[in-house]
Amino acid sequence: MNRRQLLRSMVAGSTLLPAIVTDLLAASTDPLAPRAPHFAGKAKRVIFLYMTGGVSHVDTFDPKPGLKTAAERGVKAGRRGDQTYLPASWSAKRYGGSGLEVTDLFRHTAELADDLCVIRSMTGDHNDHFQAAMGVHTGSVTVKRPSIGSWVSYGLGTENRNLPSFVVLAPQLPYAGSQVWSSDFLPGAHGGTRVTGGEEPVADLQRRAPEKMQRLELDLLARFNRRHLNERGADPALSARMKAFETAFGMQSEMPDVFDFSKETDATLSLYGLRRGGNTGFGWQCLVARRLAERGVRFIELIDTGSSGNWDVHGEIDGMNALAGNVDRPIAGLLRDLKSRGMLDETLVVWTTEFGRSPWLSGKHGREHYNKAYSAWLAGGGIKGGVVWGKTDEVGAKIVENTVHVHDFNATVLHCLGFDHTRLTFRHAGRDFRLTDVHGNVVKPLLA
Amino acid sequence: MTLRFSLLAVPLLASAQDPGAQAVAVLEQRCHQCHDARTRMAGIALTSSAEVTAARDRIVAAIGYQAKVKMPPNGRLGSGEAAALTSWIGAGAPWKAGTGASRAASGHWAFQPVRRPAVPGAGLPVDAFIDAKLRERAMRAAPEASRETLIRRATYDLHGLPPSYDEIQSFVRDPNPSAYRDVLDRLLASPRYGEKWGKHWLDLVRYGDTSGFEQDPYLLYAWRYRDWVIKSFNDDKPYDRFVKEQIAGDELYPEEPEAQQGTGYYTIGTNRDMLYKVEDINRVETLTDFVDTTSSVFLGLTAGCARCHDHKFDPIPQRDYYRLQAIFAPFQKTRVFLHYDMARGYDLQENTRTFRLHETGAQLSALLDPHRKALREARLAQLAPAVGEAFATPDDRKTPEQKALFEANAKKVEPSDDQVFARLSKDELAQLHEIERRLVGIYKNYAPGPFSPGLTDAGREAPRTYLPAKGGGDGEEVGPGFPGALGGGDIPEPPRDSATTRRRKALAEWIASPANPLTTRVMVNRIWQYHFGRGLISTPSDFGTRAGAPSHPELLEWLASELVERKWSVKEMHRTIMLSAAYRRSPRLPPAAPERDPENSLLSHFTRRRLEAEEIRDSVLMAAGSLNGKRGGRPVVPPLALEELYGMSQPVGNAWIVTAGRAEHDRRTIYMISRRNFRMPLMEAFDRPEGVLSCARRDSSTTAPQSLSLLNGPFTLAQAGALASRLETAGHPVAAAWRAALGRDPSAEEAGRARAFLDRQTANLGSRQAALVELSRGLFNLNEFLYVE
Repeated sequence: MNRRQLLRSMVAGSTLLPAIVTDLLAASTDPLAPRAPHFAGKAKRVIFLYMTGGVSHVDTFDPKPGLKTAAERGVKAGRRGDQTYLPASWSAKRYGGSGLEVTDLFRHTAELADDLCVIRSMTGDHNDHFQAAMGVHTGSVTVKRPSIGSWVSYGLGTENRNLPSFVVLAPQLPYAGSQVWSSDFLPGAHGGTRVTGGEEPVADLQRRAPEKMQRLELDLLARFNRRHLNERGADPALSARMKAFETAFGMQSEMPDVFDFSKETDATLSLYGLRRGGNTGFGWQCLVARRLAERGVRFIELIDTGSSGNWDVHGEIDGMNALAGNVDRPIAGLLRDLKSRGMLDETLVVWTTEFGRSPWLSGKHGREHYNKAYSAWLAGGGIKGGVVWGKTDEVGAKIVENTVHVHDFNATVLHCLGFDHTRLTFRHAGRDFRLTDVHGNVVKPLLA
Repeated sequence: MTLRFSLLAVPLLASAQDPGAQAVAVLEQRCHQCHDARTRMAGIALTSSAEVTAARDRIVAAIGYQAKVKMPPNGRLGSGEAAALTSWIGAGAPWKAGTGASRAASGHWAFQPVRRPAVPGAGLPVDAFIDAKLRERAMRAAPEASRETLIRRATYDLHGLPPSYDEIQSFVRDPNPSAYRDVLDRLLASPRYGEKWGKHWLDLVRYGDTSGFEQDPYLLYAWRYRDWVIKSFNDDKPYDRFVKEQIAGDELYPEEPEAQQGTGYYTIGTNRDMLYKVEDINRVETLTDFVDTTSSVFLGLTAGCARCHDHKFDPIPQRDYYRLQAIFAPFQKTRVFLHYDMARGYDLQENTRTFRLHETGAQLSALLDPHRKALREARLAQLAPAVGEAFATPDDRKTPEQKALFEANAKKVEPSDDQVFARLSKDELAQLHEIERRLVGIYKNYAPGPFSPGLTDAGREAPRTYLPAKGGGDGEEVGPGFPGALGGGDIPEPPRDSATTRRRKALAEWIASPANPLTTRVMVNRIWQYHFGRGLISTPSDFGTRAGAPSHPELLEWLASELVERKWSVKEMHRTIMLSAAYRRSPRLPPAAPERDPENSLLSHFTRRRLEAEEIRDSVLMAAGSLNGKRGGRPVVPPLALEELYGMSQPVGNAWIVTAGRAEHDRRTIYMISRRNFRMPLMEAFDRPEGVLSCARRDSSTTAPQSLSLLNGPFTLAQAGALASRLETAGHPVAAAWRAALGRDPSAEEAGRARAFLDRQTANLGSRQAALVELSRGLFNLNEFLYVE
């Protein structure tokens, strides 16, 4: 029996710690106790699909035939006016009742056009990966702030104490590393727990002793802790620590259960483009995301690649074939699967990236960073499907209609969950902080 | 304001008797939201005497709530408020110097001079104040804690480490009436004290060994400031002197390098000094950091909001903020020479060394480049001709296509060093070894120089400071000075022969003065908080008008005055606090405590606390017998698993240069490197702050990943192994384990269960040693181990 099988064989839930511990744990001292938002939100959780490196908008969700014309005419562009426009390598088609135009790179996702709300007028504050990745996640492009997932966890708590409320599926680290899922000054329980995939998907999850022996050890531990507590009367801090062991113990069994796809049908696996037994790739991440969503995790972030080998196609845009190939079918599969299980209505699916790419050439056949305009989309809980919001000019260089800043985007995400983003605050270093700093407007026309 | 303020009511009454101040406060609180210089609703601003007088009839009518326009629209003024405003307007609205915000704030209790109150009753003063409050609420106090509990509490509070079994035993058996005081004296005299209290200070001053942002470059000599802080606490440097050395050691003590080391305070925050292109922005951000950190650390004021606007409730209006900023405007980061001749010698040597290295580099090129070129050309010859052309064309003449080709193939054709070395002739190899030998000669005694990071002024003249203008750009010029709410005052021009502006000198003297109402209150409250887990003011870096009321206002006053009485000795404050019965109480809840005082703000018992991140790591090392007590020096970089290091924005090989020597890795956590962009996983899990902003109070979270990390993580596993090895040779391994980890003997029941556990695990795992590892790790995970009470 290998380690994974052993983990899988664990019975979910702990028999080691007495129920009394849970009772002693006053809800007020538990940072993860379920909490009601400001108003009834349509979404109960978020699946946040983050594409690392800056996805070219003009090659994906904002196709621009104008680029070809401009390139043929030899129109000059770029910061110094010495660049030529680069046409997309992919043709675009219209999809769904809404006629959403998408290039072939995302042809599978595009089939769900009538569920998507594509924003073609996104803009952010920084043109470098590190700062922009921080900006998208925390609202701050300079110093560290809590991640959007931490804010959601802080606002809603969790429904499943055997799992963390905020899970990040990241085989590699994006720019700015774990800072993008840090709870920063929010209580540590709201920080993202990283899942890498592969043989040991969660750090320190692997028992250092076989299960039977760990049970003996934890049994002894629980007994001594209980006696320690009994001698002292009730103390929520002590019971919370015992509870955390219970959760950790629960995670040791429930997490492997999340990763155990043996009960998924072949049809489901093929939706995600997964072969049976596979434990890597974006399809694996997407199916894990659905399984975490089913188990009450509040914020599930999926990061497709790391700080190299990503969408940062300075030299050759054709690199996007492989990058889109990794994510397109799994994303479509995830949306279909959520839909068929009736979960899409209460799950907000977010697809975004740190910035777009220049309509003009860089390197041999690539594009530069471009934060003045890019595309992102929302789908599911609280969002109107079949909508295109905002517009860029004929080459995708300038936003000409309905600019949506990262702060507006984040405010809208929080709104779908039932939060007034101006009131979801935390007092730190002498003032109230929030995800959107002093900015942000909910983009109301996108709401269902 | 509640009745708690009985003793502090005098200044409040004084402000109430000043109708002008009261009227301005009414305007501030009820009118300015819509009628200040910025908002100007209906074109009306009420921020000066002239404006108020011009609008007098409309104001009187509107607040009378009889006319069509009723103000404030969200509710009529109280009759007292309306009367004060009307009579003040009737008197011509005499608006004294200073802004409304600072005038309204000037009545705030924390801005009044500290007055030493009478002690209510006999006994230790701290207890007299605490007990009076308990009596007021008819609450009983818990009895004194057991000696075992007490010495553990005191040792963690002063050392951040547990007492040894022997220390506990000797205290428990000590019949001497001064036994407890003797323990405190011993703890305060130990250098471990500075390692614990220095850490509190480093949290406050946002210490780090790197400067943050994407590249997170090293602050090469930051550790000298860290060691200076530790030494200052160990020397019991008077707090006023400690403050002065940090704020203006260069101006106040020009002949004392050790004192000037204090100015390292300014240099160990985040900065972009290595990004030369953004020097202007960096300078502004650095000034912001200086104002925000200085005002919150030393004065307990949150000035940050005023950078952009006058905040309705904050005592520091924008003008005062920029007056503070002007104090730092002439700053220049510098190096403090710890020993002038040695520093000069070091620089001279470094100068020669650099010249020699340039020559060595040239020799290496001459030797290796021909071979590298030959290898490169051989490889290029196998690629398309266009690639060869791209390589042959000089960089500035390459077409974009050639640049792309060059970039695409540069790595491919570049030979490795080993491939180059393989081509060297015997003679050339000898030359290479000669160069290697010379390099070893140059570096064999290489060590950090006698420098410490510091700060001074660029000269006698300072760049001008302006208020931000509406719509961007510079507005009115402001000069250096102190906040109006704290009495104000301008800083004069320095004498003609001065080398600096002496602005920070003035600031240092103003802060480190017994007359400053905040300095002592803020510091004694911090000391109190680090002992009890909660300050008398629960917002330790916010003593402004929005701070909550102190739980024991008179005690805070008494302690603040006592700090000056005791010649600013922090160690004396520890004694004063720790000798009190309030500090010595059992953690057991007395009757009625949970209902009447759930947060234990009245201190009827001792509040249990979880160990801090550093305490956990240090305690595990100590229990395992691995702790290396070596003090000071360069930050230590312990080995971590590659997986744990993935968070780096730099290549790991550059960002995590592991320190040589196994024993170095087992030193106290305060000596481990603190990177701004990456915390060691165990530290991060247990809420160590990241050092970007001043941290006055740590979070103490309880999470499942913490448990996973202690249960399954590599650090606890390795240390459990170390403890287990010691246990193997012990006559009574279970007793030895309890003594090492918990500082006590196991009860009969515990010993029985532990032995049964060991037997079963030995059978299960097939080895006694493995079973002992399990037991050891279990002990590190006990609440008894992780909490101090």
